[in-house]
Amino acid sequence: MTSGRRARARRKLPSTYTPAPIHRFKVGDRVMIKRAFPPGHRRTPHYIRGKVGVIERICGAFPNPEELAYGFDGDPAKVLYRVRFQQKHVWPDYRGPALDVIEMEIFEHWLLPATGRALAAKLTQTG
Amino acid sequence: MSDTTFDYYARRKHDHDHDDHAPVAGQDSGPASEYEIMSRAMQELLEAKGVVTADEIRRRMEIFEEDFPYRGSRVIARAWTDSAFKARLLADGKAACAEMGVELEATRLIAVENTPDVHNVIVCTLCSCYPRELLGMPPTWYKSDNYRARVVREPRSVLKEFGTVLPDHVTLRVHDSNADMRYVVVPMRPRETKGWSEDRLAEILTRDTLVGVTVPRVPA
Amino acid sequence: MSDTPVNKGPHDLGGAAAGPIDTTDHGMKFWEKQANALRNTLSRKEIVRVDELRRAAEDLGDQYYKLAYFERTTMALRTLLLEKGFITEAELKAKMAEVRARSDAPGAATGGKGSGR
Repeated sequence: MTSGRRARARRKLPSTYTPAPIHRFKVGDRVMIKRAFPPGHRRTPHYIRGKVGVIERICGAFPNPEELAYGFDGDPAKVLYRVRFQQKHVWPDYRGPALDVIEMEIFEHWLLPATGRALAAKLTQTG
Repeated sequence: MSDTTFDYYARRKHDHDHDDHAPVAGQDSGPASEYEIMSRAMQELLEAKGVVTADEIRRRMEIFEEDFPYRGSRVIARAWTDSAFKARLLADGKAACAEMGVELEATRLIAVENTPDVHNVIVCTLCSCYPRELLGMPPTWYKSDNYRARVVREPRSVLKEFGTVLPDHVTLRVHDSNADMRYVVVPMRPRETKGWSEDRLAEILTRDTLVGVTVPRVPA
Repeated sequence: MSDTPVNKGPHDLGGAAAGPIDTTDHGMKFWEKQANALRNTLSRKEIVRVDELRRAAEDLGDQYYKLAYFERTTMALRTLLLEKGFITEAELKAKMAEVRARSDAPGAATGGKGSGR
């Protein structure tokens, strides 16, 4: 934890974040959202699947909403990240400035490392 | 290089005065719809079965009406006047609110800051997630299919519909609150508000400025 | 794999073609405020989870597009209360008939003041 978080924990203030001591990705990592289309309740919008972004922050570990939605307890908790994407990458017809971004929260099991090979495969796909 | 004296947020000539303090007045008129009947029926059945009490429901209605909608402006007004608090708010929104005695219950708050180079806008494309304990209930436009569909894809056009025009050198960050986090925008403080009290500042921090579709306006 | 979206729920609206936004806040009617309070109370008590309510709304299929926000959430709550056995269809039908009879009675109010949808 940062010293700020330690101070707040001492004063027992509630935090936005939860601990995620084990996390696969770190801030700044390039990641690809899985091109998976499972049925049922998912919090990964269709428009971002298959897209490549950068980890903006780690939010913590939370019960899996895909399980909570059906009455299960969502354990084990999954690490949740904020991921930032270039709008021009997400929408081929995006007309705004190149620096415009979109950010959202993605659970770890929806993320793949965007290595050179993964990126090349992504870029050779049509559409 | 950003110019802090330029009014970045040009307004369209014919923009309507977007007063987001006052929902359009109307009445519960006409016969109750099927859904109103259904909702009341479910509530009465649950009350009869002891699952909820009428008192509990009434108290929550009061809190949503009289308490929640007024908190966001106060928190952001504090951030405008106290830069150390603002830093703590940006680092951990829930903790900073709790410091002020604003208990966000289930909401995990991330505050995002507008600067001369960056503007933020919030949406939940999948449903209508919103920091309700900080801002009250979301406006009807926030929950509308058209906002949810378009603000992620053509955000600058959407902002124009609210009378907000962003120059190209201002980067736009759209935040889709699709999981456990909820968001509030910390707008830029207009220079003309120098010396204002927190109460006076809170008045121009309208709900729509905290979602990011408009910016604070200093009355002429 | 085809280009048509697979397993995309009606709620997954990001990027869909859509028209102009009605930027006026039409607020909430009394019954909608009450419905919101009911849902909020149930989820705070962990009787129904917000995730379950979302899933039930998403499962409305094409009906989703025909319903307004609080109509969707009312249908979702109905689904969950039946699913979890808090109420039966027969009970709900009977209670709805009773509530409708009361609200249709001459001079009956539909609730407090509220604003349009």
